[in-house]
Amino acid sequence: MHAHELLPFRNGLTDQGIILCYNGCITEEILTGIGATIKHKMAVRKADKQVAKGLFSLFVEQMQNVIRYSVEKESGPLPDGSVLTLRHGLLVVGMESDRYFVACGNMVDKKDVATLHKNLNHIKSLDQDGLRELFRTTLKGETPAGSLGAGVGFIDIARRATRGFEFDFTDVNDGLTYFSIKAYI
Amino acid sequence: METLHIDGTDRTPTLLFEFDANRYLLSGESYPEDVSEFYGGLLGQLSDHLNGLQGATVQFDFNFIYFNSSTAKVVMRLFELLEQTAARGNRVTVNWHHEEGDDNMREMGGEFSEDLHQAHFNLLSKPG
Repeated sequence: MHAHELLPFRNGLTDQGIILCYNGCITEEILTGIGATIKHKMAVRKADKQVAKGLFSLFVEQMQNVIRYSVEKESGPLPDGSVLTLRHGLLVVGMESDRYFVACGNMVDKKDVATLHKNLNHIKSLDQDGLRELFRTTLKGETPAGSLGAGVGFIDIARRATRGFEFDFTDVNDGLTYFSIKAYI
Repeated sequence: METLHIDGTDRTPTLLFEFDANRYLLSGESYPEDVSEFYGGLLGQLSDHLNGLQGATVQFDFNFIYFNSSTAKVVMRLFELLEQTAARGNRVTVNWHHEEGDDNMREMGGEFSEDLHQAHFNLLSKPG
């Protein structure tokens, strides 16, 4: 891509209120680096401190979700003999009218969509008290099968997303579905 | 038992476990790459030590700026451990520090404290 193609691409992103956008391998280093940049950006914009904290939290939970669960990945050996797996995802941070948002997209196995859909629908149906209760019982319970974290990431996103959240699925082929979550603050 | 002191990083908290004085502190950010790797061994050590206490005075200070949901699970375990320590006849105080105006951090402390009955809990606000 050259300037005459990149400029309209860039303008298209800007017109949609996109502050920051990243597509590709999502690694812990990316999380650390972009996380710090988001903090700086919010400070420079003189954003409300609690909004900035909330946005950062939405960012961390979504990125860790991609790092742990994206099924679009590549693996290979490092010079020290260990095997590295890089998982792919798409991150968008932006502003729509007066709401900031963090959105992430990643591939999931089609067979996992029904469960994911059901869990997210349930979380979405709850008010703050319900979320608080679910957060608590999930923290106390055993980690769900297949979960690498505490299994509370989505609940945390729902709690922090003071202006709501949305999710979506779109089929890619027989085995894969593209999943996205977008949380507003 | 030797004091354990780990300096904080961008993603992990400063940790100060003064076993002899029974004063414990977690302070700063907590969204480690691998929560079990960072906290697993530390929790085991703390648990072994606290389980052997009788009639002791214990103080645990939580002074987080931010922690992720995986860390929340660790915090819940710590609260359970501290409550058990209090229930065995130790004087346990849990101090939860939060910045003024950080409603989320304040509420989190309040929620975790719902499981404390024998241990004393203080919500402490500090200037942001």
